[in-house]
Amino acid sequence: MLGYVCKYTPMELFESMGTDIKRLTPSVTDFNHADTLMHANICSYTKAVLEEVMEQDYDGVILTTCCDSIRRLYDTLKSQFPDKFFFLLDIPRKVNDFAVTLYEKQLREMLSAYEAFSGKKFDEQKFLSMMLNKAALTKAESKKNAAEITTDVSKTSVNIGIMGARCNNEIRELLTSHQANILFDLTCTGISRDFTVAKENVLNSYAAALLNQIPCMRMLKAASRETLLDGFTDRLDGIVYHTVKFCDSYSYEYADFKQRLNLPFLLVETDSTKQCAGQIRTRVEAFVEELKVKKGYSLTGQNKKSIRKGDTLYTLGIDSGSTSTNAVILDENKNIRAFSVVRTGAKSSQSADAALEDVLKKAGLTQEDISIIVSTGYGRVSIPFADKTVTEISCHGKGAHFLFPDVHTILDIGGQDSKAIRLNDNGEVVDFVMNDKCAAGTGRFLEMMARSLETSLDELGPVSLQSKEDIEISSMCSVFAESEVISLIAQNKEIADIAHGIHKAIAGKAMSLLKRVGLNGGFMMTGGVAKNPGVVAVLEEQLGEKLNIYEEPEIVGALGAALYGVEEMR
Amino acid sequence: MNIVKTYGNYIKKYAGTRPDVSRKMIDVGLHLEKFRTEHFAPKEMPNAYRKLNTLGVKNTLFALEHPEQTIWSNLFAPVEIFQCFGLNALSMECLSSFLSGFTCEDYFIDQAEQRGIAPTLCSYHKDFIGAVNSGVIPKAAFAVTTSMICDGNINTFRYIEKNHPIHTYMIDVPNTYSEEAVSYLVTQLKELISTLEELTGKVFHMDELSAVLQRENQSKAYYREFLELQKTRYYPSTLTLQMYMLFATHLNIGSEETLDLFRSFAEDIKNYPEFHGKRIVWVHLLPFYQETLKHYFNLGKDYQIQVTEMNLDYMDELDVNHPLEALATKMLNNLYNGPYERKAAMVAKLAREMNADGVINFCHWGCKQSSGGVFQLKEAMKKENIPLLVLDGDAMDRRNSHDGQIKTRLEAFLEVLDNQNGGN
Repeated sequence: MLGYVCKYTPMELFESMGTDIKRLTPSVTDFNHADTLMHANICSYTKAVLEEVMEQDYDGVILTTCCDSIRRLYDTLKSQFPDKFFFLLDIPRKVNDFAVTLYEKQLREMLSAYEAFSGKKFDEQKFLSMMLNKAALTKAESKKNAAEITTDVSKTSVNIGIMGARCNNEIRELLTSHQANILFDLTCTGISRDFTVAKENVLNSYAAALLNQIPCMRMLKAASRETLLDGFTDRLDGIVYHTVKFCDSYSYEYADFKQRLNLPFLLVETDSTKQCAGQIRTRVEAFVEELKVKKGYSLTGQNKKSIRKGDTLYTLGIDSGSTSTNAVILDENKNIRAFSVVRTGAKSSQSADAALEDVLKKAGLTQEDISIIVSTGYGRVSIPFADKTVTEISCHGKGAHFLFPDVHTILDIGGQDSKAIRLNDNGEVVDFVMNDKCAAGTGRFLEMMARSLETSLDELGPVSLQSKEDIEISSMCSVFAESEVISLIAQNKEIADIAHGIHKAIAGKAMSLLKRVGLNGGFMMTGGVAKNPGVVAVLEEQLGEKLNIYEEPEIVGALGAALYGVEEMR
Repeated sequence: MNIVKTYGNYIKKYAGTRPDVSRKMIDVGLHLEKFRTEHFAPKEMPNAYRKLNTLGVKNTLFALEHPEQTIWSNLFAPVEIFQCFGLNALSMECLSSFLSGFTCEDYFIDQAEQRGIAPTLCSYHKDFIGAVNSGVIPKAAFAVTTSMICDGNINTFRYIEKNHPIHTYMIDVPNTYSEEAVSYLVTQLKELISTLEELTGKVFHMDELSAVLQRENQSKAYYREFLELQKTRYYPSTLTLQMYMLFATHLNIGSEETLDLFRSFAEDIKNYPEFHGKRIVWVHLLPFYQETLKHYFNLGKDYQIQVTEMNLDYMDELDVNHPLEALATKMLNNLYNGPYERKAAMVAKLAREMNADGVINFCHWGCKQSSGGVFQLKEAMKKENIPLLVLDGDAMDRRNSHDGQIKTRLEAFLEVLDNQNGGN
């Protein structure tokens, strides 16, 4: 079996020779081979392909010059496996007669190399009749489909388009499982292969058909990609824009579209590892929620509960975060009856049980008295006693608007991620960005730094306010920053000044997140880091505005979840 | 706080609200730098390098002050053709380096990233995009990029073209040499020429291009003479000057002034003594600002960077009788085009011929084509039995290089080199 990576690959040629050829869509657990044989800082899809080829038994791989990482992958594979078949096709970026001739020549070179490798023979007539059959089949299918589609797009669904770099099935499945209707998938993995091949000059016309597919970002014609959206604008609610870690080509289009098109965009970045599923889940769910709210749909479903369990109705919101698990009980008039903050242990469900027990005790209630429980946060799906789940993005928005109705921009810095959320005047989420996978700019970063300075996390903030000297921590990476802090300690710098420098670094990261959703006045900060007066002071200085901070900044998400519960009961 | 940094802070301060003020400050700063290089260069700096220093600053200054005679390009664009139209190339790599020289790179890079440009993209590209978006760089008359070597080229120029309407020509360079590839390229060069004719109203003469290529050949011949002596002589430079060589070997190659400069290199080095320290061949880019590297290599007596391989990416003689074909061949056979094994073999050969004691390869943040080949370079150097140090960092964004890490690795490497000779 051969593998291939790119839609411009002439896989039908191999098919006609009876060779199995499969698109490589690896999902790996680590990059041990790739980090040694190549480098950590190259496209993660490329690294994953190398891992897969090293682990699985492929006879070879057909690659294209689609990007620098893949070009180097070819170099690496060829030197590692001299006995296998690797061919690098150079795809012209311009499509004209010269380019087609150039590509046709390469197809012929590839064919003769493969004939020599496999002992098989390419038969042009056989290929032609296979292609003609395929075309006939496609035509018949599309006729059938056209008859079947009654444009019955369910009214409660939102219409989403997928664009960007190669997109795995996970994202598509996530979307459909949240009742989102995928209008189109224009990533290279979503495009069908129906080519018309002429009976004369077979290979030339095939080369032309390949090159004339929807242009990917490496092609010169990509400038016109915006027109791809033309047929959908009346129905399209938002776009999920997918990129691959260390693949930069698509970020240009994202930056461009986001700036110019008046459409909600969600940027999702994956890295071909199994681990990234959880992180994209929150983003995709929150995005679907955002779009549903915009269309006036309820987030918690249609079947409203109205079981009165006592004199007063109570709802409970529980936010299962990486550092703390927080719970809030509200009565039907939206008064906070009790709240609880417990540290999240190794198992999120146990911490959730502890928080539930604690908050019920504080409220003097039993679980029987609670009409509805809404969970949120990273661990929201692992809370068995929750009736509904809503993402922490929507919950923070809800909670923030309830506490401070004038807030338009929320900065939430939690233990392992930070996010900026933009609200409209009604408190509905209109945009958000998240930063995770990297500890820079999160509570975890502060914890690491406090440890290096041998102070407690609680002291770090007050201490920094005594700072007299301006110190800059220049590294973005928390690992580098830690060694920078250590060398500052070695230089005998004052702890107050180093702490101030650390807070400036965090604030810098936070500011760039905020700028990505837009600096709209009425700022609120939530999450544990909001308790640090040092970070707050630097941020307020940079924003030129006071931050709204609730007395218990960690419970805003849980409060929002409980508020969703109250809405549910009406 | 040092003066440059304070100055840079002011440039950044105004970039958001008054780009014209920032622009003026960059201009004044470059004038000061030009004056400094002409009159106050360190006395250890050899004459030819002083000339080079001035050329680099002057070149950039001219581009900023005469945008109507300037083409924004990448490092590998066919500048020989621009010269025939009296146009000056301002490469986005060099422009970014200058902004980094003013310690402003963080502001412009952040600006690009906030728009949605990937943080993992090469810093030169992010910096250029941020600077153009901010309006601190006066818009050039035209833009030309080639697709070769770096993924960013086409995309960065397309983004700029779309967001700041500027007429752009993109040259698609195939990955390897073939006759068909040459004709595909020649057609594009002809298209470029007629576009420039239309733009400038000037008529292109093939003879003029031949003359440029003639001077380019002569320049390279002088450069080879220089390198021959550089094998043994002490001819001190700095990290910045090694990068500035790209003004001579790429952006201004073929001009009278550059020919004169290469002649000076070939003559000047004859007056210099033999070198007894450790000789280093540098691969790819240099982080000119990096304290530890500056300490060891800038005009140092113990360790000398003999040559930076990037300046030798094409050293073949150009066929002056077929200038367009020659330029096409130059692009196709550029050492950075095509498979990495060619480059690894060239570095090995270069290190051997230069009698280098060691090779340092700098993996610049975001540069996949160079990072992705590191393993092969290691293998090639192992065969050659010449020690190789791979450093990770960023050639222009200070936040992506960590001094502690670079210091430990570099010093350990230099200790290895010192001990090796102790044994001989």
